[in-house]
Amino acid sequence: MKKEKKNEIIMNVIIGAVCVVLFAVMFMQFKTIEETDITAIENMRETELRTAIAEWKGKYEEAEEQLEENRKSIIEYEQTIEDNGEASELVDKDLKEADMKLGRTDIYGEGIEVTIKNTDDYQVRAIDLIDLVNELRYAGAEAISINDVRIFSTSYIVQPTDGLTLVSDQRITSPFVIKAIGNQTYLSSSLSLKDSGYIDRNKARGMDIDLETKNSIQILKNTSNREVKYMKEGEK
Amino acid sequence: MILIAIVIGCILGAVIGIYAPMVPYTYSGYLAIAIIAALDSVFGGIAATLNKNFDLKIFVTGFFGNAILSILLTYLGQKLNVDIYLAAIVVFVGRMFNNLAIIRRYYLNKWTPNKKEDNENSAKIQK
Repeated sequence: MKKEKKNEIIMNVIIGAVCVVLFAVMFMQFKTIEETDITAIENMRETELRTAIAEWKGKYEEAEEQLEENRKSIIEYEQTIEDNGEASELVDKDLKEADMKLGRTDIYGEGIEVTIKNTDDYQVRAIDLIDLVNELRYAGAEAISINDVRIFSTSYIVQPTDGLTLVSDQRITSPFVIKAIGNQTYLSSSLSLKDSGYIDRNKARGMDIDLETKNSIQILKNTSNREVKYMKEGEK
Repeated sequence: MILIAIVIGCILGAVIGIYAPMVPYTYSGYLAIAIIAALDSVFGGIAATLNKNFDLKIFVTGFFGNAILSILLTYLGQKLNVDIYLAAIVVFVGRMFNNLAIIRRYYLNKWTPNKKEDNENSAKIQK
């Protein structure tokens, strides 16, 4: 009797468990189907969507490649710009230097100032000035001016008649103030060489000459301008 | 007693099923075929009970075995690109109808003689 009851209980439990499993699975399935029904259309088009996804992926990859390329070229451009910047800086520097050398700008720097005056005994001639300019150049002068007229390689100092001294189309008179920018020591010592130096030589001839070293000498920019009329670029 | 067990089992199963996580759509086909197999087993069990040759071992092994076997067959069918699950459904549903017919007949038979018996009983009482 007891055994039968035990068996019955076991059977009930097992059947109950079976029911639990069956209904659990059934309801899970119901839920799944219900949820999936809403998106049934999408499921029908699954293949289509997959194709679309693949397409988009391809496009995305393409776009990414393009982006990468563009980035690279941007970096290249930036590099070029930087290089150009360097180049233009160099050009700028060159230009500035050329400007200074050609007297297109006012310049200043350490150097010497030589003042020559006519005396009763001695009239300063153009040749004296040329001599002085040459000596200064030899001593390493970077820029020279006579009475604020800049001296270049094309400059001339002439004396067509007595009492008329022309420097680059401009008339100058005594006192002549020659300014030279360069190493003070070189400039002054080369002019002040005992006996054989420019100062001693000319003082002996009666010239009134005075040398002054200055830490800051201003040399004005070139004002005269000769037009190029006859010369042309290229070979004959 | 057994009815209580079935009812409790059904309610518990329903609750678990509702709160269980959703099965991915790809696997719901397998689950459906398993449910059909299980239902077939249940109806077979009921029919066996009515015929008084119910065996718990056969029922339980049939219940789980059929379900698992049907899932495996469906899987195999998908791999072979043959709709084997259709065959499984035909077999299970056909058997289900058979079992339902047995159950129906049993109750039909039961109820009709019962009425006679009742009549007889009442007649006896009346006598």
